[in-house]
Amino acid sequence: MSKKILIVDDSLFVRESLKMLFIKNGYEIAGEAANGEEGIKKANLLKPDLITMDITMPGTISGLEAIKQILTDNPDNRIVVCSAMGDKYNLKEAILAGAKDFVVKPYQPERLLEAIKKYIA
Amino acid sequence: MSCNIEREPLLEMFIFETNQLLMQLEESVLESEKKHNYQLTIDEVFRVMHSIKSSSAMMLFNNISTLAHSVEDLYYFLRKEKPAEIDYGAITDLVLESADFIKRQIALIEKGEKSDEQPIDLTQKIKETLAKLKKEEIKTSPKVAFNFYQVNLCFEDGCQMENVRAFAVVHKLQEIASKIEYYPQNIEEDDETTEIIKKEGFHLSFSSHKTREEIEKFFSQIAFLKKLQIKQLNKYEDNKHINKSESKKEFSCCQKKNFISVHVQKVDQLLNLVGELVVAEAMVTKNPELAGLHLDSFYKAARQLGKISHELQDIAMSMRMLPLTDTFQKMKRLVRDMSRKIGKEVELEIYGQETEVDKNIIEHISDPLIHLIRNALDHGLENSMERKEKNKPVQGKIILSAKSIGGDVWITVQDDGKGIDKEKVVARALENGLIAPGEEKEMSEQQIHSLIFLPGFSTKEQVTEFSGRGVGMDVVLKNIEKLGGNILIESILGQGTIFSIKIPLTLAIIDGMTIKVGKASYTVPLTAIKQSFRALSEQIIIAPDGSESILVRGNCYPILRLHNFYKNITNIQSIEEGILMMVENDGQIICLFADCLLGQQQVVVKPLPKFIKKVDGLAGCTLLADGSISLILDISALIN
Repeated sequence: MSKKILIVDDSLFVRESLKMLFIKNGYEIAGEAANGEEGIKKANLLKPDLITMDITMPGTISGLEAIKQILTDNPDNRIVVCSAMGDKYNLKEAILAGAKDFVVKPYQPERLLEAIKKYIA
Repeated sequence: MSCNIEREPLLEMFIFETNQLLMQLEESVLESEKKHNYQLTIDEVFRVMHSIKSSSAMMLFNNISTLAHSVEDLYYFLRKEKPAEIDYGAITDLVLESADFIKRQIALIEKGEKSDEQPIDLTQKIKETLAKLKKEEIKTSPKVAFNFYQVNLCFEDGCQMENVRAFAVVHKLQEIASKIEYYPQNIEEDDETTEIIKKEGFHLSFSSHKTREEIEKFFSQIAFLKKLQIKQLNKYEDNKHINKSESKKEFSCCQKKNFISVHVQKVDQLLNLVGELVVAEAMVTKNPELAGLHLDSFYKAARQLGKISHELQDIAMSMRMLPLTDTFQKMKRLVRDMSRKIGKEVELEIYGQETEVDKNIIEHISDPLIHLIRNALDHGLENSMERKEKNKPVQGKIILSAKSIGGDVWITVQDDGKGIDKEKVVARALENGLIAPGEEKEMSEQQIHSLIFLPGFSTKEQVTEFSGRGVGMDVVLKNIEKLGGNILIESILGQGTIFSIKIPLTLAIIDGMTIKVGKASYTVPLTAIKQSFRALSEQIIIAPDGSESILVRGNCYPILRLHNFYKNITNIQSIEEGILMMVENDGQIICLFADCLLGQQQVVVKPLPKFIKKVDGLAGCTLLADGSISLILDISALIN
C-alpha cells in the first residue's frame, strides 16, 4: 500500500507541484491544507504517514505552531519542514518541537524525495 | 625614587584579573536570578571558573584551583545536560559561596599572606549537589555502560543550512547520548559555521550506552548524509578544536580593554608630587622678593606654568577617582543574601553608580553603606505580612543612589519601610540615659533622629546575624566623619527612611580661604563659607555669660573668636577691626572672628604630624605659597 502524504503550504503552486512529484513517485496524497489551522485538522482527520509543512504561512497559526500542535495531538506524526533559506530561528524551533527533518526552498525534487524516503520507507 | 612594589607583575595580573572575573560572575549571576533566567549565565559561570581554575593552577594556588574546578564540573554538567527542574537558588548560593572563598584567598594573597585555607567543605557540597543532579538524570534515562564515540560527518553538497542540520543532529543525538561536544561550536548562532562544516565536516564526540551498530543506524537515519566516520574510543577525549576556539575567544575579549593597571602607590606618589609642584609654583610666582618689580615676560611665563600645573593636578586627581559601581554592585549581593536568609522580598534599585569619588573614599564608604542597607533590610522594611496589611507592595524597596553636587557627593539609602518611630527612639534614649528626662521636648525632629547615632543606642531587641547590637550606627557616623562627611536622616513614620551621606569629592586638595589670626594663618574650606563681612559694634549682642552673638538679617549667630580659641596673640581684639566669616555645616551656622583675609587658594591637605596631640577643630595642615604652614579648620568640629 502506498504511503499517504499531507501537504501543508500556503502557495497553490507549491502544493500542485508537490502533488505531481509525489504521485509520480508512487505516493498517495492524503490531502492538502493552505494554512496551519487546516493542517492540524486534516492531520488528525486523515492520519497521513507524513506531513510536509511550510513553516511561514499566513493566518493565526504559523507553521511552527501547527507542528507543535500536530505533535501534541499525536507524537507519532512525521513532519518534514519546508523552509525558506536562512530562516534559522524557526527551523531550530521546529527541530526542537520534534520535526523530523527539513528541506530548504527552493528545493530540488530529488532532495525532498530523499528526505521523505528516510521516514516513510 | 623607588617604590617598594616587590610583587611580581604576573601575580599582580592574576589578582587583578581574578577579581575582575569574580565581579563579572557575581553580577551576571545576580542578574540572572532577578530575571529567573538561569540558562543565560551557565556558560558565563563555566567560562569564569574555567579561567580561574587554569590561572590559579598556573600560580600554584591549588586550593583556589580545586574549588574552581569543582564548580566548573558542576556547570559542565548543567551546560551539557540542561536538567530542567533543579534548585537554581541553591546552586547560585554555592557559586556565590565559592566566589567568596576565592575572594578571601585573593585578599590574603594580595596582603602577601599565605593562602592555605582548604575549601574542603565547599567542594564536598558541590560534589554532593552534582552527584544528586546526576542521579536524578540517570533515573530518567538509565544508563549502564558508556561507550565513547567520535564521529565526523559530511552533508551532501548543496543541501543548505548545514549548521541547522548539524544542530538537528545534536538535538536528536541528545536522546541517546550524553556529554556531547562538537566542533564547530555555536552552530545555532553563527552562520559562518556553515562554511566550516562544508569544508571540514561536523565533528562530534559523545558518550552513549548504545552499541556501535546502533549508533551507525542512528546516523544512517539522517538525511543528506554524504560521509560518515564513527570512531569508538576507550577514553573520553576532549575535542582539541573546542579548547582552541575557547581560548581564542577569551584572548580577544581581554584585548579590548583600554586600561592599564597601575599600583595605587605610584598614583599616590604622583599626586603628592603634583601637590608639591603646585605649592612650589606658588612659592616662585608669589615670591616676596618679586614685590615691586616689573617683570612682564616673567609673569607671562609664570601664568603658563600655573595653567599647566593646574591641569596636571586635575588629571592626577582624576586618576584617583573611581566610579562607585563596584561598591554598589556589592550591595546587590548583600541584599540578595540577606533577603533570602530573613525571608523578606526586597528589590534594590541603584542610581548614579557611575559617580566618581576618590579611591580613599571608596575604600571607606563600603562599611557604612553595608551597615545602613542591613539596617534598612532588617529594621526598616516590614515583613510581607505586615506590608500587605498596610497596603504596601509586598516587595520592599531599597533605593541606593549617588550624585555629585558641587564639591560633594551625596549617597542616599532610602527604604519604603516603617520609618523611625520617634517615641520609641526617645524612650530608648531615656532608658539608656543618653538624654535627660524632659530634654526631648526641646529637640527637633532631626535631633531626635540623630540620637540613633549615639554609642550604645539600639531599639532592636533581638540581635540578628546581620544587624549588630547597636554598636553600628555610631561607628557608621564615625567612619563617615573620618572622610570629612556627615549624615542626615529623614524619616516619615510608616512610609520609610532616607539616610543621606554627604562626603567631599576628594580629600587631597581643597579650595580654601586663608585667614590670618595674629601670626598664625588658618585655611577654611571654601565650601563651608557663606559670607565674610566687617561687623558694626551695634550688631553684637553679649550674653550674660560673656558669649557674643551677632544679628544678621534678623538672625542671631554665635561668634567664635579664633584668637581666643587657639590662644593666639593679636592686636586686633575689637570686632570692628577684624573680619567675621560666616560658616555653615549641616545647617548650623557660626561666625568666625579673624584679623583679616589673606586670599583664596587651592591647598593640598596633609594630615597633622603624629607628634602633635589632637587639637580640636583642625582637619589637617597645608603649605602656603611662602612656605609657611596654615592649619585647616574643621568647621563641623568647631561648631560642636
